[in-house]
Formats: sequence, C-alpha cells, structure tokens
Amino acid sequence: MSVNLDNLFRAARDATRDTTRAELGFETRLLARIRAERAQATPWFAFAWKLLPAFAAIVIALGVWNYAAASAVDLPTAIVGNTDESALASYLTGESQ
Amino acid sequence: MSAHSDEPTDERLIQATLAGDDGAFTALVGRYRSRTFSIAARFARNDHELDDICQDVFIRVYHNLAKFRAEAPFEHWLSRIAVRTCYDALRKRRRERDNVSLDGIDIGTEDNVRAERAREVLDFALARLSAEERLVITLLELEENSVREVAGLTGWSESNVKVRAHRARNALKKILETSHER
Repeated sequence: MSVNLDNLFRAARDATRDTTRAELGFETRLLARIRAERAQATPWFAFAWKLLPAFAAIVIALGVWNYAAASAVDLPTAIVGNTDESALASYLTGESQ
Repeated sequence: MSAHSDEPTDERLIQATLAGDDGAFTALVGRYRSRTFSIAARFARNDHELDDICQDVFIRVYHNLAKFRAEAPFEHWLSRIAVRTCYDALRKRRRERDNVSLDGIDIGTEDNVRAERAREVLDFALARLSAEERLVITLLELEENSVREVAGLTGWSESNVKVRAHRARNALKKILETSHER
C-alpha cells in the first residue's frame, strides 16, 4: 500500500483545533502564576554560591600576602638584630670584655 | 502589531511591562494569545497540555522580555519561543507511544480522507516520530511554513531542515504503511 502523505496533510490541515474554550481566562491564570512566582521571592542565601569565586579570591590573596610578609627579610634589621643578640650573649657569658 | 493608531504599540507595552505594569503584559498576551494557541494546538494532546504549553511560552516571554531587541517584529520572537517550548514539551514525552492505538482508524489513500480521520491518523503516526521529526513535519506540512521560516523558527540551517523533513516524511510513510499491513 502506498500512503499519499500530501492528501493526508491537506486533510489534517482542515481539521484545525478549536482552542476557544482553552483560551478562556488564560490571562488570569497566567498572571496568577507570575504573581505566585514573584511571591516566592528567592532568599538571599540562594545566591551565596555565586559569591564563592570572590571568597576564594580573597582567601588566596590573603594567603599570598601573609606568605610574602613572612618571607620578606629586612636584611639590615636582621643583621643588626643578630649582631646585637650575639654581642649581648658574648658580653653576658663573659666571652667578650 | 498595531492595527489602530490609538492602540499602544508592542514596544510601548513591552516597556510598560518592564516598568512593572502587569496590565500592559496582559494586553500583550491578549494580542498574541490566539496565535500562540494555534501553534501549540498542533503539538498538545489535550486542552490541559495546551494551556500548560501556552503558559510556559508566556512565562518565558515575561522573563526574557528585557532581552527583546526589536530588531525583528515581536510576533517572530514570540513564535520562536513558542516553537522551542513545544519542542521541549515533545522531548519530555516518554510513554506516549504506548498510549495511542490505530485501532478503528481507517488510513484511506483516497483523496477524500476526512479531516478528522486524517488528524487521528496523523496524531497516531506523529506520536511515533522523534521530537525533531514531529516538529519539522508540523511546521512545514501542517502550519505550511516555508523551509526558510522553519529554519528561522527552529534555529536549524535550511539544509538541515530539508534533510530532517525528508527523513521525517520517509519515517511517517513507513509507520503508516506498517500499521496498515498489520
């Protein structure tokens, strides 16, 4: 059997569905749904995860800053400090006069 | 769309909606409700599903209204959203194939196939096609859009539309012939 699709399509095009009943009160239902969505306002913490990259960046920046501050050597101070300490130790232990 | 000069234009209604005027959105919906229902009616199985699809369409419109750039008429933009929403609805369906039967439906090959019968036969066969095939057949053959229009509505290329339409027609034919042989 050979099905004539074009005839079938032509006939089906004529069978347009009557949507009048379904359209009744559509705007009211739609507006009610939109207002219901609006009423369920999203809590602020729902967006907290979006701030995660910012928090991560701050933590990394603090870590880098802390590490840099710890490893930064003030050479003259360290030399003087060490010298003072060793001089004091030598004086107290009687190694130096 | 603005048939009468005293009616606000679509752009004005859109601006008012974005400013928080629900009445303006209601007017916009009322203007394009029938058009949207006629598109969705080709895909929906019943009035309940039809209402759901149309609500989804206008909810998407509402949420994306700020993105409308007025480079093309609002109706075109809305139609694209309607077609995509219908496509999504088709893809969501899972067990439809098991729920329809061709029992008692005469797939006549004569020219005088009655409209209602043709619709039942087509509904049966379309339910067995993939979402893409069903979409392209509906838009091309039932809604009588051109290949170019279907490409615009779906976002597919014109050659893609032609290929899918060809495959869909073959698949449809096979389904109908197989069903008739049983």
